[in-house]
Amino acid sequence: MTGLLHFEDFTVGRIFDCGPYPVTKEEIVEFAGEFDPQPHHLDEEAAKTSLLGGLAASGWHTCAMTMRMFADTVVPLAAAQGGIGSPEGRWMKPVRPGDTLRAEAEVIAARPSAGKPFGYVTFACKVFNEREQVALILMTPIIGKRP
Amino acid sequence: MIYWEDVEIGTRRELGTYTFTEEEIVAFAKKYDPQPFHVDADAARRSIFGGIIASGWHTAAVWMKLSVADRQKPGNASPLLRAGVSPGYEDMRWLKPVRPGMRLSYSSEVVGKAALKSRRDVAIVLTRNEARDDAGELVFVFTGKGLVQRRPE
Repeated sequence: MTGLLHFEDFTVGRIFDCGPYPVTKEEIVEFAGEFDPQPHHLDEEAAKTSLLGGLAASGWHTCAMTMRMFADTVVPLAAAQGGIGSPEGRWMKPVRPGDTLRAEAEVIAARPSAGKPFGYVTFACKVFNEREQVALILMTPIIGKRP
Repeated sequence: MIYWEDVEIGTRRELGTYTFTEEEIVAFAKKYDPQPFHVDADAARRSIFGGIIASGWHTAAVWMKLSVADRQKPGNASPLLRAGVSPGYEDMRWLKPVRPGMRLSYSSEVVGKAALKSRRDVAIVLTRNEARDDAGELVFVFTGKGLVQRRPE
């Protein structure tokens, strides 16, 4: 397969644009119903008086949506072989129904794995809605070094 | 009502167990993490994992599910019950692949407390959260940050 990016191609500072991801109320409520059934993720009235000031997506849902944007954009380009973790995630602003998210995935670190044919690449995914940055999610996927 | 001031470092909760099915693993990954080793059994067999594994975000989301359920158990007056909002997490690691049929035991332990300079009504409780397999081996771990209401002055 040609055209794949390998470990050496993920130079620090390189940015990949990901998204868009339209956020619907139905999906916010569906995700929260399964994984994070708290009133501020499920019920518009109850959410108004919460710390979030209105219905908003679970932070884990924001991570999952970010993963989807990343998986659709960066993963097909790379010989990616899974992730080993997420050093940090910050939920900075609520993600609301009707938002359209996009992400900028910037390579912030890359290190080869000793004696193995791959390396670890750390991306900082800045997630934006139309108005501002809503989340920062760091991810460390394993990127294949050789085809 | 328990406030941030009442939270004791070292308090530990066993959140319960969760068994991952292939159907759920694939359904989650098709929506949020459609990499071949999460959604395609044949491709997964040829991958470095040798079979279908759960998205790490699925493993994390199940921690949240069990954590919310734990707060609602009778007698657990968790201070997270009323706020339940978090500014984020740190040091999340997916240490072992989560395969269909695996049962994970989740736990959460208070490891630190931090006041905020910016506001007086809430403060942060730090938790170390784990999932272990039936052999007791660590599969998943992260440091959580929960905003908890402070005792009114």
